[in-house]
Amino acid sequence: MGGQVSKLMSRIFGSKEMRILMLGLDAAGKTTILYKLKLNQDVTTIPTVGFNVESVTYKNVKFNVWDVGGQDKIRPLWRHYYSGTQGLIFVIDSSDTARMNEARSELHKIINDREMKDALLLVFANKQDIAGHLSPEEVTNALQLNKLRDRLWYVVPSVATQGTGIFEGLAWLSNNVKSQPMK
Amino acid sequence: MSTDLPYRPTTNASQHERRSSSGSRSAVAVPPNNPSVNEFPKLPPAAPTIGRSQSVSRASLRQRSGEHANLPSLARSRRYRSQYPLDSSERHVEYILVASFHVDRGPIMEHQYPAPIGGDESMLAELMLPDQTHVRSQDWTIFFLHKDTGNGEEEESQDTNKTGKKKKKKYKEPNGSTDEEDYGTTQPFANDEEASDEEDVSGEGPPLMYVLNLVNTKQDNNFRRGAVVKAMAICTRHSFLHIYKPLLLLALEEYFKSPYPETLATLYDAANAMDLSLMPRLSLLERSILQASDAKDMFIEKFERMIQQRLADEAANKEHSSPDSPSKPRYMLPRDTHEFESKVIYNEIPIPVKVPTAVWPETVGDFSLLKLIQTFSTPHSTSPHPLALHPHLTTNGPFTHPVIVLVNAMLTQKRVIFLGHNRPSGEVAEAVLAACALASGGVLRGFTRHAFPYTDLTKIDDLLNVPGFVAGVTNPTFANHPEWWDLLCDLPTGRMKISSRISPGPVTEGLLYFQQPHISLAVAHASSGASSDPTGDNAFMDDILRSISHRHGEGAIRSKWRSYIYKFTRIAAAFEESVYGASSLYIIGPGEELSPESPSSGQSDPLDPASLRGHGYVWPDEASKLRQLAAYVSRIEGWRNTRSYYAFIQDIAIYYHAAGPIKGLDLLHHHDRLRTLKPSHADAAAIYLAFAHAVRDSAGICQLLSVTPESQAGLFYISMGLFHPDLVVREATVDLLDRIASHEAGRHFWNHLGRFMKLAYFRIKREKEAALSAAANQSMTFGSQTGPQSLVGIALGDVSLRQS
Repeated sequence: MGGQVSKLMSRIFGSKEMRILMLGLDAAGKTTILYKLKLNQDVTTIPTVGFNVESVTYKNVKFNVWDVGGQDKIRPLWRHYYSGTQGLIFVIDSSDTARMNEARSELHKIINDREMKDALLLVFANKQDIAGHLSPEEVTNALQLNKLRDRLWYVVPSVATQGTGIFEGLAWLSNNVKSQPMK
Repeated sequence: MSTDLPYRPTTNASQHERRSSSGSRSAVAVPPNNPSVNEFPKLPPAAPTIGRSQSVSRASLRQRSGEHANLPSLARSRRYRSQYPLDSSERHVEYILVASFHVDRGPIMEHQYPAPIGGDESMLAELMLPDQTHVRSQDWTIFFLHKDTGNGEEEESQDTNKTGKKKKKKYKEPNGSTDEEDYGTTQPFANDEEASDEEDVSGEGPPLMYVLNLVNTKQDNNFRRGAVVKAMAICTRHSFLHIYKPLLLLALEEYFKSPYPETLATLYDAANAMDLSLMPRLSLLERSILQASDAKDMFIEKFERMIQQRLADEAANKEHSSPDSPSKPRYMLPRDTHEFESKVIYNEIPIPVKVPTAVWPETVGDFSLLKLIQTFSTPHSTSPHPLALHPHLTTNGPFTHPVIVLVNAMLTQKRVIFLGHNRPSGEVAEAVLAACALASGGVLRGFTRHAFPYTDLTKIDDLLNVPGFVAGVTNPTFANHPEWWDLLCDLPTGRMKISSRISPGPVTEGLLYFQQPHISLAVAHASSGASSDPTGDNAFMDDILRSISHRHGEGAIRSKWRSYIYKFTRIAAAFEESVYGASSLYIIGPGEELSPESPSSGQSDPLDPASLRGHGYVWPDEASKLRQLAAYVSRIEGWRNTRSYYAFIQDIAIYYHAAGPIKGLDLLHHHDRLRTLKPSHADAAAIYLAFAHAVRDSAGICQLLSVTPESQAGLFYISMGLFHPDLVVREATVDLLDRIASHEAGRHFWNHLGRFMKLAYFRIKREKEAALSAAANQSMTFGSQTGPQSLVGIALGDVSLRQS
C-alpha cells in the first residue's frame, strides 16, 4: 500500500530512483566520493573490504550508490553487482599514469557485459589536485572512450576531497537517466 | 555405556551366554538391592530378542522386588570413559590461522600453525575478512570447512589405535600433560568400546571443521591508507567453539604487537592443554535425558566416578614413582552437570571455560532460538505481510508464520539466505546456526553440513552448486538476485521473502493420494467445523511465543522445537504408512504389524507380557489423523528425498539399536496413549503391565525416561497406574517406580513426582508388604492367586510353556 502510494507520487512529481554502481582500481577515491555525496564532507577512508552502499537524494533523484572494493583479486566480484544497474561511475586516479592501461581494460570488461549494456557511463577523472595528473581529455584518450558505440558517457574532472566536480557528475546522471521502471 | 553393545553380534552372543547362566536357578544369590547406583552402567544391556525378556521375567520370579534381577553381580567393572580422554589423538584445536587485508592485494593469509591447512588459501582469507569489516573495529564470524581427518594423524578404526597413539607421541608438544602410564590403563578399555561408539556410526564422513574467526580493524596513520585489518581464526572439530572467544580476543591483540608464528603457537598450545578428561561420556539416551532436565546434579554420579578413577590411577602410579606430590582435593565436581568447567592458561592468564556435557547434533556455537524467533515474529504479529504461495513453504496459507516458513524451507531443502545489511557478520552467522538447530531439533541432521554461517560474493558460484543450503550474508546485493535463493530472511526488518524464481513443488504420489475424490471428501468432511489450523502450527507458534513472553528461557524453547520436529518425523512415518504402505522412518518392533489400522492394544506376542501392539504418533481419532496428514502432505513430500530425510533413515537404524533394550514396545506411543487418549481400564492395564515388564535395567529406564521429560509432566502418567482399579496393575506400577526411583537419573524424576502420587505409592507398597508377609505365613504354594504372584506366575507359565 505505502509502496503504491509512493510510486504514484513519483509518477506525478517525477522523482526517480536510480541504482548506481561505482567501480575503479583500488585507491582511486571511490569511498571518498561516496561519503562526499552522502555527507558532503571529507571523511578519512580506509580500504573497503567488500563494499559500501548509500542512498543519496539529489535533484529529486534517489541514487542508490554501490561502492565496491577495487583490489585486483576482488574485481571478479564486480559482475555480481551489474544486474539492475542504471549508471556506472568509474573512478580514475588521474595521477596514477602507470596503471591507466589496467584501468582501461577493467572498464571495457565491465561495459562489454550484457547486463551493463544500457548503463550510463560517468567517469570521474579524480585527483586533479595532484601534480602530474592527466587532463580529462588525456584520460578520455587513455580509456579509449571515443571508440565506444551506443553508449552515453561523460568525463568529469574531480577532486573528491574538496567535492569539486562530484555533483556536476551526479547532475549529468539524473538528466540522462531514462525514466525506466525500477526492477 | 551399557546401551552401546547390542548390535555387535559377537559381544551379544557372549553376553547372552553370560546372561542365561545368570538367569538360571543359581542366580538367586544376586543381592536384590544393589546399594550403589554407580554400578548400574556396568550392566550388560538387554539383548533385543524376546528370549531375553523371558530370562528377565524368570529371574524376577526369584527376586520378589524384581530390582535389577538380571544383573550378574560378577559383571566386570567397566571403566567410565571420558569424552575427551587425556591420551586422545584428537586435539581440541587443530589449526590457528591469521589473515590480513593487504591494501594492494586484498585478503591474504599471513600465517598458519602448526601447518598449512590446505585447500584454497585465498578463499579462506576472504572468509576471514568479512564484507564491510572496515566500518567496524571488531567482528566475529564462523564458517565450516569440509576437511577430512587425513594426513595420517588420526585413524578412525580401532585396529590402528596403536599406531595412532605412537604417532601421537611424536606430535605431542613438549609441555603436553599426558603421563605415559595412562596409556597402559586405558588402552584395553578403549579398544573394547571403540567400535560400539554410536557417534562413529553417523555415516556422514568426518566431522566438520568449525572455524571461529575474529577480525579487528585498527585505524593507524603510520600505515599506508591509514588502517590495519587482521583476522585470527581457531579451527576445531568441537561444536562448542564459542568457548574460545576470550582466548582469541587476547591472542589477536597479542598478534598486533608481535605478528609472528610464535604468537600462533602459544595460542595453539594453550588451547590444546585444556583438560576435559574428567568429563564422562554419556550414551545417547543419557544425553537426551540430561538435556531435557533442569536438575543441576543429573548424572553427578558419573562425574564422581571419573574423579575416583583418576585418584585411583594416581595412587597406582605413585607406587612406582616418587611420592612427592601432596594429595589434595584437586578435582571438583561440577556445579551444574550440564557443563564441565575447565580452564585454558594463556600467557599465564587462566581463562575459565565451560564445555557443554551433552550437545545435540547440529548444535554449533552459541546462538539463541529465542532471538531468531522473536526477530521474525514481532513484525509478523504487528503487521503480517502475505507471502507468495508455495506448497512446501506456506503450509498455512499466505499468512503462515514466518518461522514455520523457515523451518519448512529447511526441511524441504530450499536455498535459504539470512541477510543482515549493516549488521556484524557474527549476527548473521548466529541466525544461520540457530536456523540449523531449529530445523534439526537435535533429531534431524544434514543442515550444518550445508550451512554457510557467513559467506560473501566470492563464494557465490560454489554456493549455487549446493542443492539446498542456508547461508548468512551481509551484502544486500544478494537481495537483487532472486535466482540465488528460494527464501530470503532479512534480519534488520524481520521479514521473509519467497523468491519469484523458486521452482514449484513437483506433483508426487502422496499429493495425488490426497487428491483422490474419496480421500479429499473425507478430509473436507473431517475439516468441516474444525479450526482453521489443520497443521496445528498456529497453535504451536502461539505456545512458543507465550513461553517466550513468560520468560521460560532458551532451554524450554529448544525442547519445544525438539518435540515439534520429532512430531514431524512421526507424522511423516504415519503418512508413509498410510500412503505408501510402509515407512522407512520407523522400525517396526518384533511382533508388530505394519498395518496402520491395527489396533493399539493387545500383545503382539501373547507369550511376552512386555510386548504390546501399536506404534507411532497418536491421534484422538481417524478424522483428526486424516485432517492433519492432509495438511502435512506437501511438506512431507517435499522432505522426502532430501539429505536430512535419508540421514534420518540411517539414524533410525542406529537409534533403534543404540537407544535401549526395549524393542517390542513403542514406549512413546503407549505413553502418548496414556497422556492423550484416556484409554479404558483394560487398555491402560495392558500398557502399565507391559511397561512394568519391559522396563527392567538401567538402559530400559533411560529409554522410558526419555519419553517422559519433566517438561511434559514427567512420570505423572506412569504414576497414574497407582490408581488403577486392578491391584495387579497398581503393584506392577509400584515395582516400576521402585526401579526408577533407585536409578541415577530416575531418582530426579521420582523427586519431582507430586506428593499425592507418592502417598499412593507408599500406601500400596505397605499393603503389598503386609500381603507378602501374610503369604509367607501360608505355605508357598506355586501359583497362589494373590496379586503380584499371579502376575509372575503368568510370566513363568509362559516360559515353561515355551521351553517344554
